[in-house]
Amino acid sequence: MPAEITMPQLSDTMTEGTLIKWNKKEGDKVKAGEEVADVETDKATMPLESYDGGTIAYIAVQEGGKVAVGSLVAVIAKGSENPAEIKAKYAAGGNAKPAAPAAAPLARAAESAPAAQPDKVTATATLVAASRGEIHEPDGVGHGATREASHPVPPLPQAKGNGESHRVRVSPLAKRIATENKLDLSRVPGSGPEGRIVQRDVLSYLENGGGKESAASAPAATPVVLSGEKQVITLTKMRTAIAAALLRSKQTVPHFYETIDIDVTDLSQLRERLNKRLEKEKVRLSLADFITKAVASTLIQHPALNARFNSEKGEITRYGDVNLGIAVSVPDGLIVPVLRGVNLLGLKEIRARSEDLIKRGRDQRLKREEMSEATFTISSLGTFGIRDFSAIINPPEVGILAVGAAEKRAVVKGDAIVIRTMMSVTLSCDHRVVDGATAADFLRSLKETLEEPGMLLV
Amino acid sequence: MAVMQFREALRAAMTEEMERDDGVFLIGEEVAQYNGAYKVSEGMLDRFGKDRIIDTPISEAAFSGLGIGAAMSGLRPIVEFMSWSFTLVCLDQLVNNAANVRYMSGGQYRVPIVFRGGNGIAHQLAATHSHRMESVYSRIPGLIVVCPSTPAEAKGLLKSSIRCDDPVIFLESEKMLSEKGEVPDESSFTLPLGVADVEREGSHVTIVSYGRPVQRVVRPAVDALVNEHGISVELINLRTLRPLDTQTIINSVKKTNRCVIVDEDWGYCGMGAGILQKIQKPLFDYLDAPIEYVHSDEIPVPFNHYLEEAMMPSVDRIVAAAKEVCYA
Repeated sequence: MPAEITMPQLSDTMTEGTLIKWNKKEGDKVKAGEEVADVETDKATMPLESYDGGTIAYIAVQEGGKVAVGSLVAVIAKGSENPAEIKAKYAAGGNAKPAAPAAAPLARAAESAPAAQPDKVTATATLVAASRGEIHEPDGVGHGATREASHPVPPLPQAKGNGESHRVRVSPLAKRIATENKLDLSRVPGSGPEGRIVQRDVLSYLENGGGKESAASAPAATPVVLSGEKQVITLTKMRTAIAAALLRSKQTVPHFYETIDIDVTDLSQLRERLNKRLEKEKVRLSLADFITKAVASTLIQHPALNARFNSEKGEITRYGDVNLGIAVSVPDGLIVPVLRGVNLLGLKEIRARSEDLIKRGRDQRLKREEMSEATFTISSLGTFGIRDFSAIINPPEVGILAVGAAEKRAVVKGDAIVIRTMMSVTLSCDHRVVDGATAADFLRSLKETLEEPGMLLV
Repeated sequence: MAVMQFREALRAAMTEEMERDDGVFLIGEEVAQYNGAYKVSEGMLDRFGKDRIIDTPISEAAFSGLGIGAAMSGLRPIVEFMSWSFTLVCLDQLVNNAANVRYMSGGQYRVPIVFRGGNGIAHQLAATHSHRMESVYSRIPGLIVVCPSTPAEAKGLLKSSIRCDDPVIFLESEKMLSEKGEVPDESSFTLPLGVADVEREGSHVTIVSYGRPVQRVVRPAVDALVNEHGISVELINLRTLRPLDTQTIINSVKKTNRCVIVDEDWGYCGMGAGILQKIQKPLFDYLDAPIEYVHSDEIPVPFNHYLEEAMMPSVDRIVAAAKEVCYA
């Protein structure tokens, strides 16, 4: 019984392979485990190894040929088998397996593999480089279960996307209305608990021309505009408000920006230590909580930045408490919930309150007073890996701090280059009422506090 | 219309029905000589005499059984219990006899009887005298369970109950007996059994309740929701718990898409849980939020005034539940 070499699946995503180069030609002898060809997958070029020893009787795929996983690549004549006869038979299409579908031959191999019919096993090939660590049996005898385990596995059918992670939470009523209106619920933002889509969400979506123009405002599915098509999007109320406020700020507030790099190596270690101790309480402090705490305490020392400016009256109001706005992204927009009196809060309280505000903010359940009267704002894009950016001031506040990612960087310390966890922050200020040196002073204090977090105790 | 107390309305119903039908009589502890433990039957002994207003020994099993026998023999007894909590000692009479005799006799006997008295939590009567027996009786086929929340309902529903040919469990509250309200004077006034009252129409949420909590907390909560929170409430006062007027609830919630059930029972296997079971399937596709059930905490009823208050549904709890289902 001749042994077939088929195209193996060499990566999880591989569905077909290109035969780049044959190391053997028809009539050549091969040993079990010998690399007979190079195959290019969707990820890399890898050597193709034969399970069986013998003579290459027939090459089914020429160099440059592309075939589906599981398709016949070559046939090996074993023992006393006549390579010429085998070639004639395969070339005529006799025993040749169809080139596709990919899964079929392998599946059959697995079924017929048990030792009852050992010589009917369809030999396959494996890759030295792609080997998952199993040791393959050297010859065509006794291809039992152990062999199968190392066989490349045919790709699973594509998941239909109905898993729990894709589950849309929706009230029965909202679902019925959506069905009646042939509405794709995955596009409708839910405002109920845990993002549940409720009646008002579906109705407002439909009112806004649901599913057509306003599709871009839906968070669940990133709308793709097909080539040759265009898409007109009517701004949502929130987007319109954001547009007006930011335009007004940039047109009327003379911004200037200052950036400083802060070494947060010690702070990160402190955070880990504290989190270990807080594990029992199920509290996990984030770097942002320390920054919030440090900014609040620094603002108390620099009241010029903890202020609101009324340009019409020509008045600056400075505050003895810090109401810290925290910019939070929500579907198609952002909101700025306000942590009140944050200068008086401990880290655990900061964590709990900001978690609550952010969660309810994303659920659109914040009260107006929970989004107003900030004296300073922090915007962070660190979790997106942004190193440094400049934020637009939210008037009548006079400053906003843009916080980048904490990341390991090579820094010069003394005369050596060392690896430290660094973070860049950029302060935007209203130059009508804050000067460069004032801002620089604030940043220097903030840097000192974050680099020596013990200062928070002082 | 006359303004009268709840107890006066009950007395008026019994008096009118006793005048209308010689077969009607009242039996129970202290109903005659003492003019009623809660003065519901005040003056009735003088009016109708000791053959029709009958004092009994303290034995609920004996006098409820006597009543059932009388009903099977063609009379229409009204059996007064000092408290529905005490019927735990005559459950066999009510469940096995009153509810089942008509069925067991193949319709040869009917049991036209009213059992009435104070039910539920009635202020510092402590755990064993504060039982809310409605869910116990409302689950028994063969019984009719009625629970008024105003003097007018007390009169209209009690008259219908006395005229009913099947045993009626009539649930009052000691705490409501002094409540006053307008009651129609005419002796022809009755209210139908098995029909709920839509007390108030609204569009955002349906609140379903019955009996004393309607007056104690539900109506104030509805006022707060409407006036302070801008939530339009449809209030359904069930009046009869068995047979339940399921259709009125369903029609209402199909309109409002949200429902809150309020009672003073315990939640698990409570009256509201039974109501919920009857409506959740027909309403499933109409609900914008899970049905909320506001009930008493699942603890023995405390004697302490503050603890007793705290374990019962409150205006705040009802407002919070209504806001929750409205996502407000």
